[in-house]
Amino acid sequence: MTGAGDHHDDDSALAAEHVLGLLEGDELARAEKRLESDTAYRALHADWTEELSAIADGIAPETPPARVRRAIDRRLFGARREGLLRRLGLWPALGAAALAAGSYAVVTNLDMLRPDPAGPGLRAEIAAEDRSLVVQVAYDPAAPDALRVSRPSGEAAPGRSLELWLIAGEAAPISLGLLPDDREGRLTVPEELRPLLPQAVLAVSDEPAGGSPEAGPTGPVVAAGPVTTL
Amino acid sequence: MSRLTEIETMIGRVALGDRAAFGALYDATSAKLFGICLRVLDNRAEAEDALQEVFVKVWHNAGRYQVNGLSPMTWLITIARNHAIDRLRMRRKSERRAGGDMNAVAEMADSAPGPEARAVAASENARIGRCLTELDPDRAEAVRGAYLAGESYAELATRFGVPLNTMRTWLRRSLMRLKECLTR
Repeated sequence: MTGAGDHHDDDSALAAEHVLGLLEGDELARAEKRLESDTAYRALHADWTEELSAIADGIAPETPPARVRRAIDRRLFGARREGLLRRLGLWPALGAAALAAGSYAVVTNLDMLRPDPAGPGLRAEIAAEDRSLVVQVAYDPAAPDALRVSRPSGEAAPGRSLELWLIAGEAAPISLGLLPDDREGRLTVPEELRPLLPQAVLAVSDEPAGGSPEAGPTGPVVAAGPVTTL
Repeated sequence: MSRLTEIETMIGRVALGDRAAFGALYDATSAKLFGICLRVLDNRAEAEDALQEVFVKVWHNAGRYQVNGLSPMTWLITIARNHAIDRLRMRRKSERRAGGDMNAVAEMADSAPGPEARAVAASENARIGRCLTELDPDRAEAVRGAYLAGESYAELATRFGVPLNTMRTWLRRSLMRLKECLTR
C-alpha cells in the first residue's frame, strides 16, 4: 500500500472515531477544525455518518406519548405569538391584561367552528381589539391564486393605506398587498407563499398611501389574527 | 415520491418556518427517533425529554440540512443519537461523582448491548450489519457500544479488560476492516 493510501486510511479511521464520539481533547478539537476546512475529511466524516447510522436500523420504532409533541409545540410556538406581537408593535394596542389572561383579544375564532358553505379551506379574522377594523380572509385551495378579503368594519385613514402581511414562524413579515378599497375584494397570493398560509399569522398595518415604502411594515400594526384550518 | 424524498421536502419546508411541514415530519419520524432515544437512554422519561430537544434542534437547524450532504434519515438519526449520547454521558458523569467509579462501571456494563441487542443487530438489513458480523464479536460489540452507548476508549478498555492503547489499536483496525467490507 502506498503512503498516500496509508494517509487516507488514517484519516478514514480518524473520521470513524470522530463519528463514534471516541475522540477527546486536542484530538477532537483538531478533527472539528478539519471538518470546517478540509473537504476530503468532511467527505470521509459524512460517509461514516451515513454508514454507521445504519446501526440504528435495527432499533424498533416506538410511538412517543402525545405530551412530547405538546411540549415541543409549547416550546417552539407557544411563546412566539406574544413575541411576534411585541415585535410588530401590536403589544400596546392589545393591552397586557388581555394577553396575560391568555384571551388574545384581537383573535375571534368562534365563527371558525361553524361549517363554512365555501367548503374546506383556510380562514382568518383579523380584527382590532375594539373591532374598529375587522378583516375576514378566506382561502380556497380549489382557487389557489386568490385570498377573498372582506372588511365588515373599518377603513384606512384619509391619505393612508392598509397593508396585509403574512408572518410565518420567525420570518420577517411578507407583504400580501394593500387591502382592497372595496368591502369585498381579492388579493393574489404568489405561489411560493401558499404553503406558508396554513400556519401563518396575518396582520394589517397602517401605511402611507400606496403601501409601505420598505420591505416590512413601517406603520403600527392595527390588527392581527392567525390563519385557521377549517 | 419516495418516502425519503418526502422527508427531504418536509425538512426543506421546515427550514422556511412551515409549521405544518414540521408536524408532518414529526408524524413521519418521531417513532423512529424515539426508539433510538429509548435504546440509548434506556429510560422513558429521559427519552421523552431527549426527543423534545431533538425536534427543537430540527426546527432550528433545518436550514443547515441541505449543505451537509447526508440523506434525510441519516441527518435526523444522527441528531437523535448524538443528543441521546450527550445526555447519557452527562448522566454517567454525575453518577460517577455521586456513586464512585465502581458503581458507574457496573451500571455501564448493564447498559451495554447484551445478547438481545445482538439479536436485533443480526436482523439489520444494512450492509453495516453484515459487515459487523465479519468482525470478531467482541470488536463488533465495541463499535456498537461506541455508537449506541457512547462508550469512550477508556470505558471500552475497562469493559474488554485490555489496556487503553490496545483497545484503540484494535478498534481502529476493526474500523478499517469494516470499511474494506463496506466498499466491497
